[in-house]
Amino acid sequence: MSKNGMEGCPGSRMMDMREKSDDNPKTGGVKIASQLMQWPIQLHLISPTAPYYEKADVLLTADCVAYALGNFHNDYLKGKSIAIACPKLDEGQDIYSEKIKSWLEDAQINTLTVMIMQVPCCMGLVQLAKQALSESKRKVPFKTVVVGIQGDILSEEWVE
Amino acid sequence: MEKYLSMPIKELITQFPELGSILEKFEIGCVPCNVGTCLFKDIMEIHNLSPQDEEDLMTQIARVIYPDRQITMPKIKRKKSPTSEQFQYSPPMKKLVEEHTLIKKILGLLPKIIETLDLDSEEGRNRVQGSIDFIRFFADKYHHAKEENILFKYFDENLDIIQSMYKDHEKARSHVRAISEGLKERNKEKVTEHFIAYKELLSEHIKKENEILYVWMDRNLSTNQVGKLFLSFSEADSKCDADVIKTCRNFVNTLEEKFQ
Repeated sequence: MSKNGMEGCPGSRMMDMREKSDDNPKTGGVKIASQLMQWPIQLHLISPTAPYYEKADVLLTADCVAYALGNFHNDYLKGKSIAIACPKLDEGQDIYSEKIKSWLEDAQINTLTVMIMQVPCCMGLVQLAKQALSESKRKVPFKTVVVGIQGDILSEEWVE
Repeated sequence: MEKYLSMPIKELITQFPELGSILEKFEIGCVPCNVGTCLFKDIMEIHNLSPQDEEDLMTQIARVIYPDRQITMPKIKRKKSPTSEQFQYSPPMKKLVEEHTLIKKILGLLPKIIETLDLDSEEGRNRVQGSIDFIRFFADKYHHAKEENILFKYFDENLDIIQSMYKDHEKARSHVRAISEGLKERNKEKVTEHFIAYKELLSEHIKKENEILYVWMDRNLSTNQVGKLFLSFSEADSKCDADVIKTCRNFVNTLEEKFQ
């Protein structure tokens, strides 16, 4: 470990962003309606054949995304069904691939969007989804969105 | 000024020919476009001009239309903000672009087909018939049908840019009918004339679709619509005879091998 403790895994590296807080009276403290249309949302807890997944546009996001992205509800969650997971810390991830395949084949979802943070450990969620898609008999349009720690969208692209 | 903004671009260029070269500087190819009925005010959005480019273009156009006056051209209201990112097609649009690749191959082979045109021999006539079959099944039934019966329905079909695509499709079909008649009549000149016209029309048409229309459409499709398009395209493709599509692909490959 280095002297200043600022090295190591980017996913757990400490960052102090308190100077950035929004004091703008026009944007700070605005109430935004929730776009969540289901419960549960954690990937271990959801049933992939729940009615809100049937033919839905599904959003699979890493746990931290909604906290980093100020407009998550309106810009990404709205109109979609969701599941959240942490590709680094969640246990028993074998079932995740089966659930994604069940979305594709049983729920016959319309699209799959995977949202992750820019930290390297998040990539595992994209790999999980890619693998499930490659093993599934049914294909759907698949998009990945990478969110920066500062709340910016670093990339948004359709995956082949 | 409002009257010029609502004018079809070709009409505007006819009235002010200098505008053609100004548009070309901004890589807007309205001059060679066969239809040119897009309204001037829609050009900015369709071509995804940045705000700076829009301002520069409008300033130059104002100087041409009003050479003796200092006019500030109005900012055109757009449905979507321009993006400077390199464009990436969604999966259903990518499928259409990939189909264009095969169609472009046959267009590239047409000069050789014309050069070696022989309507007296069976081989020669079969080659022409094979080209007609490719165009009718692959380019038209398989590809254009997806555009007309599915993709275009997601937008206002009265938009000039979509109307111009329909007109191109109809013109293409009339050229193919003429080629087929020419083949039956063993009229070399007729077959040659319409093969050349078809190649020019489709080359320009595909360029417009790949670079302008599909990009603009993709930017305006929601995730939900992309998914539905993908499914609709898959269903449409499954209804086409896979053997016929395979025959079309093999026809192009055989010709490529022969002429290269």
